[in-house]
Amino acid sequence: MPLTTIHVRPTGVPDETTPAVETRDLARLFRRSPALAGVTLRVEAGRAIAVLGPNGAGKTTLLRILATALRPSFGMAAVDGIDVAEQPEEIRPRVAFLPHSTGLYDDLSAAENLRFAAQLMGLPGPDRAGRVGAALDRVGLTADRDIRVSAFSAGMRRRLALGRLLLGHPRLLLLDEPYAALDASGMALVDALLDEWRAAGATVLVATHAGERLAARVDGWLRLVDGLLVEVGGEGAGGEVKTEAALQPWSGALPVGSQP
Amino acid sequence: MERGAAGGIATVTAVARHLAVARAIAAKDLRAELRGRQAVTSTLFLAALTLLIFGFALGPDRASLAAAGPGLLWLAVILSGVLAVGRLHQLEMEDGAFELLALYPVPRAAIYLGKALGGLAAMVALGALVLPLTAILYAIDVASALPGLVLVIGLGALGFAAIGTLYAGLTVRLRAREVLLPLLLLPVVAPLLLAAVSATASLLAGDPLGELGAWLQLLIGYDLAMLLAGGLTYGLALEE
Repeated sequence: MPLTTIHVRPTGVPDETTPAVETRDLARLFRRSPALAGVTLRVEAGRAIAVLGPNGAGKTTLLRILATALRPSFGMAAVDGIDVAEQPEEIRPRVAFLPHSTGLYDDLSAAENLRFAAQLMGLPGPDRAGRVGAALDRVGLTADRDIRVSAFSAGMRRRLALGRLLLGHPRLLLLDEPYAALDASGMALVDALLDEWRAAGATVLVATHAGERLAARVDGWLRLVDGLLVEVGGEGAGGEVKTEAALQPWSGALPVGSQP
Repeated sequence: MERGAAGGIATVTAVARHLAVARAIAAKDLRAELRGRQAVTSTLFLAALTLLIFGFALGPDRASLAAAGPGLLWLAVILSGVLAVGRLHQLEMEDGAFELLALYPVPRAAIYLGKALGGLAAMVALGALVLPLTAILYAIDVASALPGLVLVIGLGALGFAAIGTLYAGLTVRLRAREVLLPLLLLPVVAPLLLAAVSATASLLAGDPLGELGAWLQLLIGYDLAMLLAGGLTYGLALEE
């Protein structure tokens, strides 16, 4: 299937051939500097894919665009065939995003944080308490459920942010450095959750530096460097690999002094 | 006919869901704000301090103090209100919560309404503190005009919360937000200040509520216009 053909569906449930994630010439500039410089890729539904690359490669920017937190500067991105810039409200119920910051409220307890998230996700009242309790239990924070998050360590905050992902049933999970700040048992928890999400048929994109740890848990990988897709491997991911020369068209966008 | 009824039910359900989202956001904001007592105390203290300092500046003449009372009441409410609405958005910036708030599958207008409701509660609390304090410090009899004053303070608080929430959202990601928020917000609340001070002065002068028609209409119109503007444009605050 040529990558230049993007599968955009206006609404509805995607068919089997619709990629879970597809981008074409996707670019995002911050001021005049490209964080993503024309990325074309495709991820099949139900796959777990590692997004690798050094700091500043564009991993987080890619995830944030797919989560509808950022709009592309150029090109396009689609989730389940739906354009993220055109119909973000159609994307949001399908996607769960674990950002690098945890997005928690310090003055609320762990349970209150999850209850608030459950309310905004539209979980019906009768299910809410049960789902919150189960999520806290799964991430090992039941005993700390009534403690304010301001008293939590970085690892506990990370666990609670992971618990928020367990409240819904997303089709696409976007995890930005999920192992960050976690101890050995926390990392094992992430491993177990990844296995569960894969078994449930969800698509998972994991931006990480811990590629070795993930190797056994992902179907394939994408590697970004300087906003370019430079390597694609394994199964379930495809893309148009580019070399550094592809940055040339963006050189005018680079701030003075940073041009090669 | 059946389709029309189904459409009506769907609309009612959607509105109920939006209101539930707004209520959840407002409740979360107030809970967090009340627990971080330092900020609440500082805001209330600023309101009281504003009244005291202007009192010192005007001198001991009771007539001057009473004449300035309505204006100073609203200056205290509005100056401390800038802090209050700003705080409600700074809570969202503590650990990237604002970005996540934008990603929930809820309409932007419901998020705005929730933040504005939280702001309204803060403004009403400020009004409830400032009104009796003004009466004490400036020797003004507010008891006889209390129902009208409550109405005017409620309308003024709503208008300020409506526009303050929008501007606080638009500036919260900016580095100079503490400076920019009052600079941008205070000129826009000038019509509200004019109407609220005039209505308050009339009520304290003994005019019946029925004679405040034009000022009340201005306040109501301002409130509706700002709520509409906020509901339509708050989405810009949530975009990066």
